[in-house]
Amino acid sequence: MMMRKIQLPFTQTQKVRYERAIERLQSLSSTVNSDASVIVTDTIPVNHEDAFLKGHGTSEVDGELLATVCGVVERVDKLVYVRTLRARYKPEVGDIVVGRVIEVAQKRWRVELNFTQDGVLMLSSMNMPDGSQRRRTSVDELNMRNIFVEHDVVCAEVRSIQHDGSLQLHARSQKYGKLEKGQLLKVDPYLVKRSKHHFHYIESLGIDLIIGCNGFIWVGEHVEVRDPVMMIDGQKDDEMISSSSSTKEQSHTPLETRQNICRIGNAIRVLSNLGFTVTVQVITETVNLSNSKNVDIHEMLCSEFHVLVAENEAERRREKRKK
Amino acid sequence: MVACSVGEQHFLKGGIAQELRTDGRKRLTYRHTYVETGVIPQANGSARVRIGGTDVIASVKAEIGRPSSLQPDKGKVAVFIDCSPTAEPTFGGRGGEELSSELALALQRCLLGGKSGAGAGINLSSLLIKEGRVCWDLYIDGLVISSDGNLLDALSAAIKAALTNTALPKVQVSAEVADDEQPEIDISDEEYQQFDTSSVPIIVTLTKVGEHYIVDATEEEESQMSLAVSISVNRAGHICGLTKRGGSGLDQSVILDMISVAKHVSETLMNKLDSKISAAEACEDES
Amino acid sequence: MEYVNPEGLRLDGRRFNEMRQIVAEVGVVSRADGSAVFEMGNTKVIAAVYGPREIQNKSQQKNGHALVMCEYSMAHFSTGDRRRQKNDRRSTELSLVIRQTMEACILTEVLPHSQIDIFLQVLQADGGTRSACINAATLALADAGIPMRDLAVSCSAGYLNSTPLLDLNYVEDSAGGADVTVGILPKLDKVTLLQMDAKLPMETFETVFALASEGCKAIAERVREVLQENTKQLEYRRAA
Repeated sequence: MMMRKIQLPFTQTQKVRYERAIERLQSLSSTVNSDASVIVTDTIPVNHEDAFLKGHGTSEVDGELLATVCGVVERVDKLVYVRTLRARYKPEVGDIVVGRVIEVAQKRWRVELNFTQDGVLMLSSMNMPDGSQRRRTSVDELNMRNIFVEHDVVCAEVRSIQHDGSLQLHARSQKYGKLEKGQLLKVDPYLVKRSKHHFHYIESLGIDLIIGCNGFIWVGEHVEVRDPVMMIDGQKDDEMISSSSSTKEQSHTPLETRQNICRIGNAIRVLSNLGFTVTVQVITETVNLSNSKNVDIHEMLCSEFHVLVAENEAERRREKRKK
Repeated sequence: MVACSVGEQHFLKGGIAQELRTDGRKRLTYRHTYVETGVIPQANGSARVRIGGTDVIASVKAEIGRPSSLQPDKGKVAVFIDCSPTAEPTFGGRGGEELSSELALALQRCLLGGKSGAGAGINLSSLLIKEGRVCWDLYIDGLVISSDGNLLDALSAAIKAALTNTALPKVQVSAEVADDEQPEIDISDEEYQQFDTSSVPIIVTLTKVGEHYIVDATEEEESQMSLAVSISVNRAGHICGLTKRGGSGLDQSVILDMISVAKHVSETLMNKLDSKISAAEACEDES
Repeated sequence: MEYVNPEGLRLDGRRFNEMRQIVAEVGVVSRADGSAVFEMGNTKVIAAVYGPREIQNKSQQKNGHALVMCEYSMAHFSTGDRRRQKNDRRSTELSLVIRQTMEACILTEVLPHSQIDIFLQVLQADGGTRSACINAATLALADAGIPMRDLAVSCSAGYLNSTPLLDLNYVEDSAGGADVTVGILPKLDKVTLLQMDAKLPMETFETVFALASEGCKAIAERVREVLQENTKQLEYRRAA
């Protein structure tokens, strides 16, 4: 559940503390960025003698470069564009995303990604359950439901962006695929930084954390990645089906792991409410903060903890600045 | 509306069984509730209640009317609910009508008593001005702005808060007139009387997911429910109304158990809600 | 009835060219992509934008452009006398008018094969509802990060007791004088919406129209302030 603006009631003292923390964040933020923030129809200062490329969020009107969205102006080499804050996901090839299957169509799955259109995962872009590399037959097409059905949560990578704007995904490695035993959280995509690592295995808590570039975050019980080479021909389909049905009869997630999953989930909710970037470090810090202050899991969502997290974040950024 | 994969369903039900829901709540814990009163100045009384992501506004408008001939000693109350498409795009056009009617009927059942008017949670006799001639018609309107499950509880809390916020102007009725003439009425601009809401009930909805029941289900949890029982309880612990939704069947013993659980939960909820309403009213008076 | 007393004060104490108090806030509906609440005096409107998202009904698809849908609804308690009908003619007309106004602003060619839904919910109506709706919709669209060529704003003005009056409330609107609603695109300096009821002599119309445009400019300033503040806030919270 994406939470927007702080709508929690603060007591007088909480309000003062919160505002002070936000002010400190403001003073710590780079002034370059705040000067570069624009809103719709603001003129973007460019040197017209230099050749420049117009990127997203800009348009040329009467010789002036205007912003068409609210955001921050970024300049990379000759490219001038406006980085939006609150907006749908802006995909790049190679992004790791988490999505939900909404339709099983002919030779493909449609996946909801918080993008302007649904993503498409072709059958040919998906590993066969038996791990073999072969052409997909019509039997495979009919058996698509054995792999993913509607509402399944899947993890994939952006393969390409078509000319009409639609997204092609692929899930060819064993680390991608269906996600079970956990919960899916949604945050605004601008709070997720692109980095080398989006799959996080937090060993101390026994939890898998996948931060999708599209703002969908998966928090779940750790699942060992199965090596397809180990699986032998012929037995595979039976094994797959029997193992998936046995998970249903399996015992529930152990209580301690579940508590950790809920804590991380709530930490992400709090960070999203406050508008702070969501990275593994910040999430683990927030969870540690809640543990050290003996905050009940559900109490993490109340005003007091929000104020604590804001203060902690201000402190953390100040420390970072010093270095 | 809310999609849930098999894996997520399993996780959800497991959590409920282990008394640790996805946001860390126990089975009988409510989400954080916020109450604001006087949000619609044009109405006689209004309130806005937020339970987690569910956001509803209730308003009370009073108009002078004539009591029905079947119940000449009582005023009239009508409840209407509207689901705004801002909450959910599927509520646009006529999409929200079914849900709105269902909620309105459930609320009417819980607040207004039987056909004879007896046993109503709202004291209809207090709305009478002159027997058989003049009474107050209360129109209670609810609007769902944001939906994340448990709409019925939120609406009943908002209605209770709105009624507490309602001030009915004092009415002077002219002396005896002939039966077929409407008496003259003088509506005071200065003097108001607060509506007495001590006996207005609130609704507690128990949702059965898997083997256990939970209170204050989120939309995700509601999508996995087998059935839900909404019980309206007042301060004295009396049951004022009951609605069951969902196709599954229930054992008699289970129903009685659920009712006692609802009564128990309603005590704490009623106290919390009353204190939040008074705090909200105090806040409104200051501003 | 006297709507403007000899000292030049209106029924609510305003002067002829004074607007009612404006309260504008962004981000009020958590589930929506963009949302805003806009208040002009007692008129209060919530706008929620869902999109751009996958087109729900393929038959309505427009080639190469985004599909913009708009729905206007009034709460039962929004007016003095309670409304019963949800889909009456006025709601349909307003949905159409607002959709056309916003569609002209949105750069639909940048978002082909997608759908943008704008939902307007009137909580309190006290005159100037269509202006409040357009202003709220503009804020909500900017909040959702949808590319626009300009920020559409709107204001109304009328003519009573031989005086042009800015931003009519319900009582003044129902007085029987003319009511001119103007919507403009401030940067492009173009008029995007113009509606009037009752009749006015041409010169008077020009004065009233100019007054409404002035009101629009003031609202445009306010809208820009809110968006600038919001953008700055989001950026420095987000951190490096």
